[in-house]
Amino acid sequence: MEKNLTTTAEITWCPGCGNFGILNALKKTVKELEKQGVKQNQIIITTGIGCHGKIFDYIPLSGMYSIHGRSIATAQGIKLGNPSLTVVAFAGDGDAYGEGIAHLIFAAKRNADITVVVHNNGAYALTTGQFSPTSKKGFKGPSSPQGSVEQPLNPLGLILEAGASFVARGYAGNINHLSSLLTEAMLHKGFSIVDVLQPSVVFNNTYSLYNEITEVIPKPARSYDDALILAKKMDKKLPLGVFYKVHKSVFHEELMGDWNPVTKRKQKNQRLKIIKKMITYE
Amino acid sequence: MRDDIFTYIIGGKAGQGTKKAGLVAANFFADMKRYVFQMNDYPSLIRGGQNFSVVSTSLSKIYSHYMDADLVVALDRQTYEIHKHHVNKNGLMVFNSDKITKGGIGLAISSQAQQYENSDLIEGVAGIAVLAAFLRIPKTHLQRVVKQEYGQKNKDNQRFAETIYDEADHKIPKKRQLKSGKQKKPILTGSETIGFGAVAAGLDLYFAYPMTPSTPVLHFFAQNGKRLGVVAIQPENEIAVANMAIGATVTGARSMVGTSGGGFCLMQEAFSLAGMTEAPVLFFIGQRPGPSTGVPTYTEQGELLFSLYPGQGEFPRIVASPGNIEEAYYLTAELLNLIWRFQTPGILLSEKHLCESSMSVRLNPYNTHWETPKLSTSKHYQRYKFTHTGVSPLLFPPSNQLINWNSYEHDEAGFTTEEADVIARMHEKRQLKSEQLQEYLKKHVKTVNVFGNGSPYIFTFGSTTMSVLEALRYINKKATVIQPIYLQPFPSWELKKYQKREKTVVVEQNITGQLQQLLKEKIGIEPALSIRQYNGRPFDPIDLGTKLQEVT
Repeated sequence: MEKNLTTTAEITWCPGCGNFGILNALKKTVKELEKQGVKQNQIIITTGIGCHGKIFDYIPLSGMYSIHGRSIATAQGIKLGNPSLTVVAFAGDGDAYGEGIAHLIFAAKRNADITVVVHNNGAYALTTGQFSPTSKKGFKGPSSPQGSVEQPLNPLGLILEAGASFVARGYAGNINHLSSLLTEAMLHKGFSIVDVLQPSVVFNNTYSLYNEITEVIPKPARSYDDALILAKKMDKKLPLGVFYKVHKSVFHEELMGDWNPVTKRKQKNQRLKIIKKMITYE
Repeated sequence: MRDDIFTYIIGGKAGQGTKKAGLVAANFFADMKRYVFQMNDYPSLIRGGQNFSVVSTSLSKIYSHYMDADLVVALDRQTYEIHKHHVNKNGLMVFNSDKITKGGIGLAISSQAQQYENSDLIEGVAGIAVLAAFLRIPKTHLQRVVKQEYGQKNKDNQRFAETIYDEADHKIPKKRQLKSGKQKKPILTGSETIGFGAVAAGLDLYFAYPMTPSTPVLHFFAQNGKRLGVVAIQPENEIAVANMAIGATVTGARSMVGTSGGGFCLMQEAFSLAGMTEAPVLFFIGQRPGPSTGVPTYTEQGELLFSLYPGQGEFPRIVASPGNIEEAYYLTAELLNLIWRFQTPGILLSEKHLCESSMSVRLNPYNTHWETPKLSTSKHYQRYKFTHTGVSPLLFPPSNQLINWNSYEHDEAGFTTEEADVIARMHEKRQLKSEQLQEYLKKHVKTVNVFGNGSPYIFTFGSTTMSVLEALRYINKKATVIQPIYLQPFPSWELKKYQKREKTVVVEQNITGQLQQLLKEKIGIEPALSIRQYNGRPFDPIDLGTKLQEVT
């Protein structure tokens, strides 16, 4: 595998896009995880469709460039197929909080052992800047020239309510901090989400705003209720960091114990013998 | 005429245990080493309504239930009204005299049952007791069966069964005795043979969101999966079902999903994703009458054409439909292997009538294959490498090679592309797989079943094949029954052999004649007669036989 973590694909994000920050944080994380015993070839990624999804072509990690809204479902399928893999689903705010929100909520509810990284730029950038689930009311785009009439969704409050065992917010403009969040999320056993504030230089340039209002919190909230308070802070100071982290049993182990469908597979003759026993009177 | 057939119908309200009683009756006949076909008719509700189970048995292979009944046990008035015309001239109606007062033999089933707790649950036991008395089955055998089948409320059920048996024995003047057959045959539903077939070909994961009539397969894996090595997963919706299954294939896990037409609509997006990423996922569709919610617990073949062309874009797909419950076993296994061989999605198309009916089967579980894919040994792995067959070698993680599956058009390495030349070549790669698939089917796969010989030619498919075969046996008529097992690619090369005939009949369960349209489009057949049923019920062999008799 590529040691410098680059690929041959030409990067087509706008210069200065927050996605660069996420990509660089991810590269740091992959190297850090290697030190902590998670090999690069154990990390499998999925992406949705949108500017965020291009990260699939830019990082030499195996996986699937999935479809809009479904990267979280694809990721859970990979984890169920081979639970020994570390699976990360990348998604945009349109993917995770719009088109595929059911998958997000249920992955959290069942504590699927995957990490979700949301490139949250508050706009549908690849389709030229329409309002997204997290766009502020009044957001002006080609489909809302008079300003969006909808209130934004608060994703982290929602995901805490759904049962996520690890909830964090990062900022693409703070790469070192973001990388430490990604590392912690990927090492966390259970469902983890890192909502990344990602400026879009063309459609929603939030660098100066986030530089001003984001504030790193030193450690997770002491309780679930305190985490909810952190998650619900939407103005003035926006907290960054791990809001909530708790140990809970994970979906694939609840469902199938230590079974691994591809490494422990029952072989042909074993299966046929059981079938024969079940369908004949001999 | 087949005079070796005995038919038993038990009907009542949902919750009275008629389906279970039908199953137990079927086992009675299996114990006599006879062949059985059982069909359950029930509305989409949990309590009330009118349910019935019909069991036909014969000394030779039987492909359908008959509505012409030798014994009807009516637990409620509605059953009596519905089925009084089904009692044949030597037949008997036994009714619940607590609910009806005349016309047949009345037994005080409800008032007897009310002497015990959970009287609703055990009324179906009365149907078994009546059947035992009518067929002179020894009381000890009845006791043993009731004890085994209705284990939990053991004593109540046993005493209840004995009371009804004695009363029936006393009141039924003319009893019957059935001849025994030679070898005891297992009775399986189509859902069970589909499940076993998938296991035989290496299924690892089964994903489904509950939807009648596909749900019994989900239940099958939930109950037996651990033993068989398959995990059953019930995600939040059909979209998650299909996308998780595709994700699982990335690891090399063999995955299958189950749904009905409505759920499959939600899966089309993923079906196309499977086509593009070359993910072999088997989609099982159990058809019920549509459109929309339609009639959930009944049968139809209205999704034939839908199943041939789902998903945006052009890519190879394999669609096949089993003609009977035994074939469902072999075909499911075969499809699972084919989709892995060609790395493309496939559809196992069936109907409620096959999925939820049960039949005596003689299966050889060993008569299946399980092909494991040859993995790439290249040092420069490319997920979508061009090859002479269009099929690229697989590789599963963890690997030090980069394995890129991509929903965007991609180059050989799986990176996104918009290059004109690469777009065209990737289209050609997938098209080459389509052609190779067709060639493979031509050379190595039985794509069409042909039964009997002579005129007329009767074309049919799916579970309707069972109805046609049974109808022909009933009327004892010569005919050639032609059943395309594979529907996509359509086996025109086989079917062309049956093109030049004047007397052609097409039998199917939909209103627009979808098989007929397909036959016309692909091989130019224009039938002399179309027999179509679209009332949600499977054909009755006598009715269908009467219609077929008219073809001379």
